[in-house]
Amino acid sequence: MKLRLSLLTAVFLSLMACAAPTRYHDANMDFGGIQTVAVIPFQNLTSQKDAGERVRDVFMNMLLASGGVYVLPPGEVARGISRAQLAEPSAPSVEEAQKLGNVLTVDAVITGVLREYGEVRSGTAASNVISLSLKMIETKTGKVVWAASSTKGGISTTDRLFGGGGQPMNDITEEAVSELIHQLFR
Amino acid sequence: MSLSISFSGKTAALAAALVFVFGCATPGKLEVTSQGTSSSLATPSLTADRALSNERLSFISIFPLENLSGSAAPLKEIRESLIQDLKNKGFRVLDEKLLEEFMARQRVRYVGGIDGANAQALGEETGVGAVLITSLELYDEKYPPKIALTARLVSADDSPVILWMDSIGLSGDDSPGLLELGLIEDPKELLAKAPESLFGSLKPTLSQIQDEGVAARQRRKFRPKYFFHSPVMDPEEKYVVAVLPFFNWSDRKYANEIMALHFVRELSKLRNFRVLELGVIRQELLKFRIIMDDGISLDQANVILASLDANLAFTGKVIDYQDAQGPEGTPVVDFSLFVIGKKGLEVMWASKSYNKGSDGVFFYDWGRVRTANAMASEMVRTVSAMMGSEFRKGKK
Repeated sequence: MKLRLSLLTAVFLSLMACAAPTRYHDANMDFGGIQTVAVIPFQNLTSQKDAGERVRDVFMNMLLASGGVYVLPPGEVARGISRAQLAEPSAPSVEEAQKLGNVLTVDAVITGVLREYGEVRSGTAASNVISLSLKMIETKTGKVVWAASSTKGGISTTDRLFGGGGQPMNDITEEAVSELIHQLFR
Repeated sequence: MSLSISFSGKTAALAAALVFVFGCATPGKLEVTSQGTSSSLATPSLTADRALSNERLSFISIFPLENLSGSAAPLKEIRESLIQDLKNKGFRVLDEKLLEEFMARQRVRYVGGIDGANAQALGEETGVGAVLITSLELYDEKYPPKIALTARLVSADDSPVILWMDSIGLSGDDSPGLLELGLIEDPKELLAKAPESLFGSLKPTLSQIQDEGVAARQRRKFRPKYFFHSPVMDPEEKYVVAVLPFFNWSDRKYANEIMALHFVRELSKLRNFRVLELGVIRQELLKFRIIMDDGISLDQANVILASLDANLAFTGKVIDYQDAQGPEGTPVVDFSLFVIGKKGLEVMWASKSYNKGSDGVFFYDWGRVRTANAMASEMVRTVSAMMGSEFRKGKK
C-alpha cells in the first residue's frame, strides 16, 4: 500500500513539474486595446554574440506577420531608446517603459530574455536548444500585463540512444516564438 | 486646274505619309526606361526623358571593379575579360587613360555606384552614354572554383537610371554531368565563362532586355518563411524605390551591400517599381548625414524619401550569408526585410527568409544550389515577385 502511495505521489509530482505554468495574463487587461508595440532589444544571457538580435528579428517579423498588432520597425525603436535615454535598454524600469511609450507612441513595450541559444552536448549526443522568456509592459500604467516563456529543442531520448544533431536552430527558434505568440493571443 | 490641285493634294498626302513613316522609323533612336527597353509597359514620361541614341548607348565606360568578396582577387584580369567580352558584343569602351583622368579630376573614389553630378560630368566630358558598375561578390580558386559577379549599366546623365542589371554565381561543380566530365577545376576556365554568362542579356541596342514583371520564376522553397503586407498599398501606383543599406549581422564581410544589390536587380524587373541608382541614394545619405543605429527611423525615412522623391524605402538585416566551403559544403542565406512607405510612414512589407543550398534536395544533389549568390538571387526574386503579386491581390 505504502509503495503504491509513494509511486502515485511521485507520478503526480512529476506531472505537476511538467505542467508548471509558464505564462501570466493580466485578467483585467483588455488586450484588444493594444494595437502598436515596440520590441526592444532582448537581454542575451547566452555566450553566443548577437543571439538576442537574431531571436528578436524572428519575433518581430512573426508578430507583425500574425496581423494581431502593428510592430514598429527596429530603427524607430532604436531612435526611441536613444531619445528616452534608457540606462539599460533591454531591461527598462517602469518609468523608462512609460517614457519610451510616450516617445514612440506605442501601447505596449515587449522585453525579452534569451537564456539559452545554440548547441548543447551530453556525451556523444548534441542538439540545438533555445530558451526565451518575454514580457509585455503596458505603457500607460507601466504594468506587466503578459509574461511567458518557451524552451524548445534539446537532447531527446532518441538523440541519446541513436545520436543525431536535433533540429536546425532556425526551426526551433520559429517553434519557440510561434508558441509565445500563440500564448499572447490566446 | 482641278486635276493639278487634286494631284498636288495626293502628293502632299503621300509626302506627309512618307515623312510620318520615316519619322517613326528614325534609325538610331531607342527608348530606354529604368526597366530596360521601351514596351507597352514603359512609363511615357520616362521614355520621353530618357530617349537615348543607340550610338551613344553603345559607347560606355567601365568602372573599376568593386571588391565585395572580402578577399584578394585578380580584379584587373576580371575587368579585362569583361571589357573584351563587351567589345566583342559591339560596345565601344572608354579609353582607360581618359577614365583615370576623369576619376582623378572629379575625385571619384567610390566605384560601387554613381551619383547624378558625377554621371552628368562623365557623360559630358567623355561622351559616354552609360557606365558599367561591376561588383565582385565571390572569388575562390580552391576546388571547386567559384565566382560571383553583379553588373549594372547606368545612364551617364544628371539623373542616372539603371538601364540593365544582372548577376551570376558560378561554381566549378555546377554541372558535373556524366562521369563528372563537366567539372571545371581551373579557376581561369571558370573566369573565362563568367562574362559570357553575365552579359548574356546585354546587347548594344539593349533590344534583348525584357521587362520580366512579376511573372518572374518563383520556386516554392525560396519563399519567405513568414511575411506581412500592408493593405494600404495601392496596386495602381507606380513606386519609386530607394534600397537603403542593409545591416550586416553575419560573419560575411559586405553581406549587407551584396543583399542590397540583389534587391536592386530583382525590383528593377517589377513593372510598377522604378529603382533608384545606389550611388544617388548614397550621396543623399551622406548629404543629410544619416547614421542608422539599428535600421532607419521613421524621421530619417521621411527625409530620405522626400529628398529622393521616392515612395518606398527598402532596408533589412542580413543574418547569415555563407558560401559553401569545399565540395560538400552548402551555402546558407538568412535575411529579413522591412519596407517603409512614404504614405503614413508605415511598414508596408516585412518578411523573413532563410534557406540552405541543400533545401529540398533528396536525390543525387538534384536541385542543390552551390553558391550563396545563386541562392540569394532566388530568394530575393521570390520575395520581389510575391510583393508584386501581393499588390495585385490587394487590388481585388
